[in-house]
Amino acid sequence: MDPLFYIADTLVFAGIFALLTLSLNLEYGFTGLGNFGKVAFFMAGAYTYAVMASAHMPCYLCLIGAGLAAGLIGFLITFPVLRLREDYLAIVTLSFGEILRITIKAQEGIAGGVQGIVVPGAFAPFTDSVRLLALANIGLVLFCLLFTFLLVQLLTHSPYGRILRGIREDETAMQAIGKNTVIYKAGALATGSVIAGVAGGLFAQYISFIDPYMFLPLVTFFVWIMLILGGPGNNWGALLGGLTVELINRGTRIAKDYLSLPVDPNNLQFILFGMLIILFLLYRPQGLLPEGPVKTAARKEVLRWRSSLPTGS
Amino acid sequence: MGEFAQILLNAAITGSIYLLAGTGLTLTYGLLRFPNFAYAEFITFGGYIGYLLLQKPDGSLPLAVAAAFFATGLLSLFSHLLCFRPLVNRRASLIPLMVASIGLGYIIRYSIGEMWSWAALSYQPVWQAFDLGPVRVTALWLYLIGAALFTGIGLHLLLTRTKTGKAIRAIAGNPDLALVSGINRDRITFFTCFLGAGFAGVAGVFRAADTQLSPVLGWDILLPIFAVVILGGIGSFYGLIMAAFLLGLAENFGVILLQAVGLSTEYRMAIAFLVLILVLIFRPKGLAG
Repeated sequence: MDPLFYIADTLVFAGIFALLTLSLNLEYGFTGLGNFGKVAFFMAGAYTYAVMASAHMPCYLCLIGAGLAAGLIGFLITFPVLRLREDYLAIVTLSFGEILRITIKAQEGIAGGVQGIVVPGAFAPFTDSVRLLALANIGLVLFCLLFTFLLVQLLTHSPYGRILRGIREDETAMQAIGKNTVIYKAGALATGSVIAGVAGGLFAQYISFIDPYMFLPLVTFFVWIMLILGGPGNNWGALLGGLTVELINRGTRIAKDYLSLPVDPNNLQFILFGMLIILFLLYRPQGLLPEGPVKTAARKEVLRWRSSLPTGS
Repeated sequence: MGEFAQILLNAAITGSIYLLAGTGLTLTYGLLRFPNFAYAEFITFGGYIGYLLLQKPDGSLPLAVAAAFFATGLLSLFSHLLCFRPLVNRRASLIPLMVASIGLGYIIRYSIGEMWSWAALSYQPVWQAFDLGPVRVTALWLYLIGAALFTGIGLHLLLTRTKTGKAIRAIAGNPDLALVSGINRDRITFFTCFLGAGFAGVAGVFRAADTQLSPVLGWDILLPIFAVVILGGIGSFYGLIMAAFLLGLAENFGVILLQAVGLSTEYRMAIAFLVLILVLIFRPKGLAG
């Protein structure tokens, strides 16, 4: 295979997973909400994109549609359980991921059912060159990633983000100072689902064919490894985690062709990923890049004042 | 009439599997206060241990059940010692514990896939079928219902008549008070981890004998098991008994209903999900709450 194309492929997948990790970071890293059904919102976005693109709508409209559909579903599914303890949210999202896949698989009428659905590529009408196509795809994914990264970075370092962190640390205290925490939690989950939906749309556009078997709970597990490894509560960590895990994933796929191990490398990879996540939770729960201090104007003032003091005092 | 009786029997079979599989989950959930997603893999593991003894046509079911009980109990004990206890000691909060249980689940599932391959297997013994009044039953189903009854009565006696059982209920009810009154929390937790996962392993043997054995055996029924645990009220064994048979009824009547309106029976899972959502909206503490 064209090595340039392989690098492009890796970048596109790393970008899509980095988007998912950023969305989980907003939900878990900052707000402390355990979404164990990330794949459901990813899938909702991918299928919305597929259906809209099949109706010959332009790419940007399909992506917006994918985000909105996933966001709406995310809101509807999680809102009833936000008043309850956080483990209920985990169970409901996890179950919803299974149910959505089963529903689409069982229903021939919706987007091809178990057969899957072909997604028209956004750039295919404009060029025949494989390299140009790859470049356009990288451009689209990286643009979405940059935009989302800036958005999440701004959100989480604003007063709104400080409320989210407050909910994570002590929800009762936030209620005591008059914040309606359910609304904030619903907002974080809806925003996270919108991002996951856009990632799903990009995924469908890029691989140009989707079926229910692509959306196994494995996707959710991957996103969690990326976030735990990178550093929950740090958006740079989410990017780093996304890239690292995708590279490990590619690495084992290449190693499979060159190494002869007594065990199946695919099985071994998941056993090692499982151990990795447990070891990180045990010995480095803050991840590779720990969460930084909250940046406020007051803190900047203090730092400037402190650095103006004579040294040694 | 015969059809109705058959549905009731099917409900009892489904409910028995859920009861066996959910017992450990609800008891450890009550003690350690987090849902252990690796229970799906404990069920699968039990099924494969059973396969070791039931891959020949003359294999003995009681022996397979006993082996699955002990092996799965030990697996759970090891995973508690190596993974969950260190995390709890480091004051890990709820979500990291759940993530760790998912990670552990993948370790177990892919180890099983490595050892026994991903292809579906089936037990070799053939279960004798006979007519009991209007319904047709197999010996396997009678064993299954017997095992569920035995578990129900045995655990009831354990929880109400023994010191250990009372200690389990005390810790689930109020951990601090239990600790102050001199209950050895570690010992009780080890015991519950072993016992609960043992029952899950037994559920795996029956599930595999009734259908097929594959590394996703447990994962495929995790959703209804969670629905049952939450419907029964987390940590409540008596709620679980009721919930298991209620969901068994709902599923078996639901399937008839689905066929009647022309929908795929794959939506059977959706019934459990619907029950789960309705319980969370209207009665989050479950039947026992």
